[in-house]
Amino acid sequence: MTGSMDLPAKGGFSFDLCRRNNMLEKNGLKLPGFRKTGTTIVGLVFQDGVVLGADTRATEGPIVADKNCEKIHFMAPNIYCCGAGTAADTEAVTDMVSSQLQLHRYATGRESRVVTALTLLKSHLFRYQGHVSAALVLGGVDCTGPHLHTVYPHGSTDTLPFATMGSGSLAAMSVFESKYKEGLTREEGIQLVSDAICAGIFNDLGSGSNVDVCVITKGKTEYLRNHQLPNPRTYASSKGYSFTKGQTEVLSTKITPLKQKVEVTEGGDAMEE
Amino acid sequence: MGDSQYSFSLTTFSPSGKLVQIEHALTAVGSGQTSLGIKAANGVVIATEKKLPSILVDETSVQKIQALTPNIGVVYSGMGPDFRVLVRKSRKQAQQYYRLYKEHIPVTQLVRETAAVMQEFTQSGGVRPFGVSLLIAGYDDNGPQLYQVDPSGSYFSWKASAMGKNVSNAKTFLEKRYTEDMELDDAIHTAILTLKEGYEGQISSNNIEIGILRADREFKVLSPAEIKDFLEEVE
Repeated sequence: MTGSMDLPAKGGFSFDLCRRNNMLEKNGLKLPGFRKTGTTIVGLVFQDGVVLGADTRATEGPIVADKNCEKIHFMAPNIYCCGAGTAADTEAVTDMVSSQLQLHRYATGRESRVVTALTLLKSHLFRYQGHVSAALVLGGVDCTGPHLHTVYPHGSTDTLPFATMGSGSLAAMSVFESKYKEGLTREEGIQLVSDAICAGIFNDLGSGSNVDVCVITKGKTEYLRNHQLPNPRTYASSKGYSFTKGQTEVLSTKITPLKQKVEVTEGGDAMEE
Repeated sequence: MGDSQYSFSLTTFSPSGKLVQIEHALTAVGSGQTSLGIKAANGVVIATEKKLPSILVDETSVQKIQALTPNIGVVYSGMGPDFRVLVRKSRKQAQQYYRLYKEHIPVTQLVRETAAVMQEFTQSGGVRPFGVSLLIAGYDDNGPQLYQVDPSGSYFSWKASAMGKNVSNAKTFLEKRYTEDMELDDAIHTAILTLKEGYEGQISSNNIEIGILRADREFKVLSPAEIKDFLEEVE
């Protein structure tokens, strides 16, 4: 970096490095790829409201960073949002919109609407042109009824009766496409969501651990954290292990006595307290 | 605050060392409708008169007592529009505090930040001080609290206080009736009686507003039906 670098122009894409990138690519450098988001998140509309579901694995490349993270975020008492993508982005954007919704509730004196949350989210994501890597499944019940939306990192949205996002979305969508029907009961909805998330957990490397479910109906929201735990950890035996002598074969023995380096003299004063 | 032509403050010292604009602001408060607050052992109550300029005004559209956070409420005496601006700012500050520290704002912090806003307007270019005094009632980990904030930006913690037209009578009445170990329901009755003292005309559930904080720490503005129950108990 030279000292005499101009400040970058505010706004708009800077094309300064494109020539360098093209040169590097021609010389054989492999450009960093886009990491597919490791998550399965789903939502569906049933007869009384919406059910949201998510797995609980957070990944850092091939490493599981958090075995039991929370992907279903609070937006309003009647609106919850599942987040896939960069964990920091989903957390920050849902916290921000949740705060804005609270202020809006105070100003209007009314319950928040799902479309309000949706519009706040999509405007923010569009403004950042996809650099805020948050793919969301937003669901809730307000005075106009139950709603379910998907929000993509670039700011586009869909309104659907059932939706899946994340790297496990294909596995989950296959379950939805074969079993979803209109007018599901609460139990059927929860079961279907759990099945879809389990499909993602078992068939997608980026998803795993437990199933979180959130059921939103008019006037009541139930957050079923760890509704299913299909991957219990088998810990070391609490009794401990016993290794009797002779179980390990001794090939050779060499004993080296340490030289006496310290002289102990009797008497003398005791150390000061 | 203010563009370059008004970068000088309109609130300037008088030779006697007073800020005359703030004195005038306090006068504006003193001619506003009476409001009061009482801190009980297990909660806080704030109340105000709600005298409307005409019987044609839809009283359900007037809300003098407002919530700032789920556990903090506020009432005012003075200019309504100035109050609205402060409420909006305070709510935003409470949210910003939560976003920054992931902790719900303590009552003292919110009082301090609101007072700081009011002080700003006594030392900035082209603006005038707020013509309201606020009574902020909150319940957090430090227990029930009641604060008064003046147009100058100074704030005080009170066990019981009153502001507005009938302030001296109301305060005397409160001094006589206040006890340290008062229960919230007693405090509500005392609040109603204090309002009744200075009220010109007949007090009813439609021309007073009461906000309470019980031990559940949820700020609630009482509905006219609930006020009616308390009024009947007082009679």
